[in-house]
Amino acid sequence: MNDIIQVEKLDVGYDGIVVLKQLNFTISKGDITVILGKSGCGKTTILKTLLGLIPPLSGDVAFFGEKIDFHSEKVLNKLYQRIGVLYQGGALLNSLTLYENVALPIKMQHPELPPQIEREMVYSRLAQVGLDESANKYPAELSGGMRKRTALARAMIMDPDIIFCDEPSAGLDPITAAGLDVLMRNLRDLFGITFVVVTHELRSIEKISDRALVLHKGRIHYFGDYKDLFTLKDPFIDTFFMKGEDHDY
Amino acid sequence: MQEDKKIIVLPERFLIEGVASAMNDIKGLNKDYPIEIDLKNTRFIDSAGIAFINYLKGNYPNAVFENLKPEIEKIFSMFPSHDSLEKDRKRKKTGISERIRFRRVAHSMEHGLEHGLEHLDVKLSDIRGNFKNFFVLLADEIYYTYQYFFQRRGIYPGEIWHQFFFMAYKSYPIVSVISFLVGVTIALTSAEQLRNFGADIYLADLVGFGMIRELVPLMTGIILAGKIGASITAEIASMNVLEETDALKTMGVIPEKFLMVPRLLAMTMAIPLLVVIADVVGVLGGVLVGKFFSEIPVRTFFDEMLRAVDLGDFLIGQMKTMVFGWIIVVSSGYKGFSVERSPAGVGVATTECVVLSISLIIVGDCIFALILY
Ligand SMILES: Nc1ncnc2c1ncn2[C@@H]1O[C@H](COP(=O)(O)OP(=O)(O)O)[C@@H](O)[C@H]1O
Ligand SMILES: [Mg+2]
Repeated sequence: MNDIIQVEKLDVGYDGIVVLKQLNFTISKGDITVILGKSGCGKTTILKTLLGLIPPLSGDVAFFGEKIDFHSEKVLNKLYQRIGVLYQGGALLNSLTLYENVALPIKMQHPELPPQIEREMVYSRLAQVGLDESANKYPAELSGGMRKRTALARAMIMDPDIIFCDEPSAGLDPITAAGLDVLMRNLRDLFGITFVVVTHELRSIEKISDRALVLHKGRIHYFGDYKDLFTLKDPFIDTFFMKGEDHDY
Repeated sequence: MQEDKKIIVLPERFLIEGVASAMNDIKGLNKDYPIEIDLKNTRFIDSAGIAFINYLKGNYPNAVFENLKPEIEKIFSMFPSHDSLEKDRKRKKTGISERIRFRRVAHSMEHGLEHGLEHLDVKLSDIRGNFKNFFVLLADEIYYTYQYFFQRRGIYPGEIWHQFFFMAYKSYPIVSVISFLVGVTIALTSAEQLRNFGADIYLADLVGFGMIRELVPLMTGIILAGKIGASITAEIASMNVLEETDALKTMGVIPEKFLMVPRLLAMTMAIPLLVVIADVVGVLGGVLVGKFFSEIPVRTFFDEMLRAVDLGDFLIGQMKTMVFGWIIVVSSGYKGFSVERSPAGVGVATTECVVLSISLIIVGDCIFALILY
């Protein structure tokens, strides 16, 4: 079973307002899939639907071969043990240190775990994102890139099979953004973590993507291998690539 | 030879659920006791399992690891052990935490003053839905608090004390000052009237009864609504806007429990203390007016007051304030969680929370008056 997520005839939106219609796609194990589209086209909405944060309007989502009932708290909690999320701004808790932020999922899900083991787990994750020396700092003392790396460490701490990232490069300088991309690729290569990355900036993610899902006008415009995007003669995708980052402000 | 050596055979799947029991196996052993960890069966290991082995490597110099499969050994190289990162352990916490925590709250409150007042109008059609949501949250909180007493999980360790400190320590000065001033004010106002009837001594009854039963609960409630309620709403609302509550949910944490139960319990512990302080200081205000304005000796004042006020009145004051405190926490949570997800939304929610809590407190006070008199 190589498909981590299967989406069938999924409509997403809010309170009856459909943002994206009839989505069909699959995410395979070990792939880095990038979801592309102008801002406001519904990328975050898809992500939050897959995460069970907003209910799907219709259609089916299966994770790890099992159809998900998004209304069942039990099903969702089981799912949450296998996924990690990197939110747009990092979404670290500002009242906790980096160490405490990364340790939070352990403390909440496995309060019985001895503190020495927790320390080992947290420090090795912080070291993997290069932040073990800042363990006792607070998020407000860090740059945006460091906050996102911490958030990535927190997303990884429970050994998820898949990590979702919402605009990981937004608000970062190109060098920091590229560093984050390399980090994601390393994590994929080393741990086999599957990534779903949402972005409206193509350049940042180019080097690491395997698959692409392009959204346009409320539908899937393209879904396939990332490298094939360049061989298409498609007016929308051409303008999207041409104009690069500042296409929609 | 065999006897003074501890052998632990790890299971096929050495995962986070099994680590606590493996730790139990080595508990009480001397640090330089020979331990043999046999991984002949182990085919799957997670980062908690690796952490266990790294911990042994770092702390038990005589621990040896047998039959480590190459694929598992490969994983080890990717997890730097705490030992190798030892130098950081010595770093001490700085005292900066509070500054940051409150900086954000202050910022949100400024926002509230700028943008909140324009948005105070409420659509009538929304009221029914809001009413329902408020009571849904109330019911949830009662359930989560109840649940917490039986199963101590789902909230951050130490958070109750942290919140208690914030609520009690940070608000007792303002609560005492206001209570004192209110005590002085009603004493002065009544003394004037009582003197006309030559009934000066009843000042003690009036101040004691009025403060302990009525004004201390009401004023404490109103001050806490502005001080604690606003900051709870600002904090929860900005966590909502910054997707921190979403992050909690996808970590398997219930935000309505994680954030609200510690605040409810902290409020429950802080109220009795604050009320005692406010009662004492408020009555003191009356005593001073009595002594210097109406020439009632302190001793006489207290004797007279204790004839009018009994333990029941004190407890009624406590109970009323407690209910007001719960109203504040639930209203703040309600406004914080239902914030509109925009930066201005935080300010709006904060203002609305203060208005809502004070209105509910006054309605509640009125209901108490009807029931208790
Ligand atoms: N909470 C909400 N309620 C109603 N509509 C929303 C909400 N959040 C976003 N939208 C709308 O849904 C659309 C898609 O938003 P979003 O998924 O955030 O876009 P993206 O992440 O691609 O920039 C936008 O038109 C936005 O206005
Ligand atoms: Mg978005």
